[in-house]
Amino acid sequence: MAGTTNEILRVEHLKKYFPVPNGMLHAVDDISFTLERGKTLGVVGESGCGKSTMGRAILRLHEPTSGSVVFDGQDVVAMNKAQLKALRRDMQIVFQDPFASLNPRMTVGEAIAAPLLVQKLYERKDKDGIQKRVREIMDMVGLAPRLINTYPHELDGGRRQRIGIARALALKPKFIVCDEPVSALDVSIQAQILNLMQDLQDNLGLTYLFVTHDLSVVKYISDDILVMYLGQMVEKAPADKLFSKPMHPYTQALLSAIPIPDPDKPMNRITMKGEITSPVNPGTGCRFAKRCPYATEACTSQDMVLTEPEADHFVTCLRVQRGEI
Amino acid sequence: MEKTKTNTQRSLWQDAWRRFRKNRTAMAGLIFLCLLVLIAVATVVIDVVTQKEFYNTYVTSQNLVERLKGPSLEHPFGQDEYGRDILMRMLWGVRYSLFMGGIAIIFSLIVGGALGALAGYYGKVIDTVLMRFMDILLAIPSMLLATAIVAALGTSLVNVLIAIGIAYIPTFARTVRASVLTVKDQEFIEAARSIGCNDREIIFKYIVPNAMAPIIVQATLGLAGAILSIAGLSFLGLGIQPPTPEWGAMLSNARNYFRDAWHVTVIPGLGIMLTILSLNLMGDGLRDALDPRMKN
Amino acid sequence: MSDILLDIRDLSIIYATDDGVTEALNGACLQLRKGESLGLVGETGAGKTTLARGIMRLIPNPPGKIVSGQVFYDGRDIMELSEKEMCALRGRQISMIFQDPMTSLNPVMTVGEQIREVIITHHPNLSKAESRKQAEEMLEMVGIVASRYDDYPHQFSGGMKQRVVIAIALACNPQLLIADEPTTALDVTIQAQVLEMIHGLKVKNNTAMLLITHDLGVVAQNCDTVAIIYAGEIVEYGTLQQVYKNILHPYTEGLFGSVPRLETNSKRLAAIDGMMPDPTALPKGCKFAERCKYATDRCRAELPDMYELEDGHKVRCFRYEKEAQ
Repeated sequence: MAGTTNEILRVEHLKKYFPVPNGMLHAVDDISFTLERGKTLGVVGESGCGKSTMGRAILRLHEPTSGSVVFDGQDVVAMNKAQLKALRRDMQIVFQDPFASLNPRMTVGEAIAAPLLVQKLYERKDKDGIQKRVREIMDMVGLAPRLINTYPHELDGGRRQRIGIARALALKPKFIVCDEPVSALDVSIQAQILNLMQDLQDNLGLTYLFVTHDLSVVKYISDDILVMYLGQMVEKAPADKLFSKPMHPYTQALLSAIPIPDPDKPMNRITMKGEITSPVNPGTGCRFAKRCPYATEACTSQDMVLTEPEADHFVTCLRVQRGEI
Repeated sequence: MEKTKTNTQRSLWQDAWRRFRKNRTAMAGLIFLCLLVLIAVATVVIDVVTQKEFYNTYVTSQNLVERLKGPSLEHPFGQDEYGRDILMRMLWGVRYSLFMGGIAIIFSLIVGGALGALAGYYGKVIDTVLMRFMDILLAIPSMLLATAIVAALGTSLVNVLIAIGIAYIPTFARTVRASVLTVKDQEFIEAARSIGCNDREIIFKYIVPNAMAPIIVQATLGLAGAILSIAGLSFLGLGIQPPTPEWGAMLSNARNYFRDAWHVTVIPGLGIMLTILSLNLMGDGLRDALDPRMKN
Repeated sequence: MSDILLDIRDLSIIYATDDGVTEALNGACLQLRKGESLGLVGETGAGKTTLARGIMRLIPNPPGKIVSGQVFYDGRDIMELSEKEMCALRGRQISMIFQDPMTSLNPVMTVGEQIREVIITHHPNLSKAESRKQAEEMLEMVGIVASRYDDYPHQFSGGMKQRVVIAIALACNPQLLIADEPTTALDVTIQAQVLEMIHGLKVKNNTAMLLITHDLGVVAQNCDTVAIIYAGEIVEYGTLQQVYKNILHPYTEGLFGSVPRLETNSKRLAAIDGMMPDPTALPKGCKFAERCKYATDRCRAELPDMYELEDGHKVRCFRYEKEAQ
């Protein structure tokens, strides 16, 4: 994973553990990747796999336990409070729940103006300047200007999510963590928001880290896809390659479970057996071994190593490591 | 659902007021309280304008010939054991209950609220230390605590305020802590952090406005309790002393004459009861109006 | 016609609140044969759950009210039944599975007892040992070992809880199962497991199913017939093949265009513009006219009928008026 000039984000050995009553919860366990400017990295996994925690740890909304996050040449983990505040201009986040992520006591205009004021981009007295910028951003995300004085509870999910995106865009960031931004929305609204996010990326040159559990969405929006299982990265590959040639047994099982909206294409589901390993004090070995149809004794006795069997395709699996696939 | 076509943007507070207005008993409580506030303000104004002349002539001057006389046209609420007009004394007494209760509650709201917010927002050690201390205070019945404080500090208006203020701190600390805890874990707090807000901005712009509803309800109900405590302390002789026309003190003095003249006890008693009742009705109405679960 | 289990004729339901009258369901007509699966697809607020509740006569009144229509279950009009007869029907003949497995289980009762409770309600003569044995069999049937009979719901994962809910719903071999978004809260691999299990049980007991969902993929893999619902009205209704292979209604077209497809590499989704109309102020004509690219003046003024094409495929759109005659 050599650094290129176009690299915007480099995450190395990122770990985030949470203390729980009976040990340490390994939410994010040793994840490394790089992300190029203007690209989208999709992060998929099932609930509780640590994908949202990873997004927040990169932004330092959760303090990483260890590892490094280098954004635009600066080490994010080592930053002090003032540096971190300045960093917020460049790195933003769009949240999953458009109902919970907006302050119910703030109007649409106030919510979008808040980052401008907090970051002191505008004087509090400069009402006209703020108003102008807020309207500009609202126009960018497709919110009608008349909504500027409405409260979030008066709006539907799709419009609220547009406010969430507007708030993230207000500071003209370079990089946005999108934490399941469309999973709370209806199908037709979801498509509108996905289109909007793509347009914004094309027009503003944004880089996305797109966290989702929806494989169809992630394939649609991503350049590269990272599959997570219980805090670990099991596979990372360009989107097309991941779908056409998944290598890790978990990725294969995941892809086979997607119901295809075509009655003539019946599912060919790979059955996963066994119980899910606990992310609390997981121990050595592959965390998927208990459910893996190919698991051998070696899988649980030694730690897995990330291998690159072909260009840009990373897999954490003993079978791949041994060259069996 | 979009309701903006009519161009009537309503904040959550306006929505709450709309719901509150529909609640008749709560509105009755509110109207009665407004009336009391008006009376309290009017009597203070009269005192200032007439330089207490009116007060000395009509409220505290004795007329022993007509002591304990029942209601008449001239004195609609009758006269007390010194022949003073009970209506006037009731009107002049409003301020003690209302304003002193209000001051005591504001005091405990500020102190208790700050402690609760600290405990709720920062958690961990601060939370444990503060809240265990509050638990100790809460273990002592508030009336007993207030009595003990007044007994220790001596009877005076200020000491009564301090006693009642302290007695109500734990209730507010708990309420504020609980509502801060619920708001703190909402995603919009994290969103505020993601745009670079510091703790102060988060507490005052994001947490406090959203934690207000239960605090307002608690304050209304607490005010009722405080008024009752003030009257209770005065009744026990530890609060405001005669001849000041405080309702609790009036009730206390009158209890010796209960067999001869019912009105001397019943009227201050009714006054206290109606005030408490209207506060409680209003508090219940506020709770229903502000409860987000009632929305839609 | 004797194999028709459920026959919904012109069912209309309103909710009268302070904010106005909501026409939640307007003239719905559906039929379900014994052992058949009907998929009801629509977005939030389209009236899917209202329809399900209407069949169960579980519309909260006030504010809800069934204003017209009949529901024939096995030849009997449900609307004419007494509350006592209705109670006997619910649970014994018709069962319902709700979206959220977390809230539909009693947290202070063991899962086994919750299943047994349903069994005793409908077979009061069973001894305790017999009913327990039946309940254990139900648990095994949904793939949970009988030894977990005495566990409480919080000791189960989301997927297992949903399986318990299904076990409860199927405990007395219902003729009709109404599943309201049964897998929406679950991960994709668990969803596949649960759906497979429902399918297996259905085939075994010849149970008919009304599957309510927003996921076109889930319907394609599990249903025989499909109804698309929009703003309280069924807009398209036919067999799986008819609806999926010969899309007629513009809304269905938009719905399919909004879903990112795995098998193709589309770069932009054909999203539907706008959003569902305010249910308290529905337009006079076709409810979809506002968002429809084919809409004419007539569409906005006049509500189209449900036109039936030669093959039985039904659609509520003027574009097929001629074809239907």
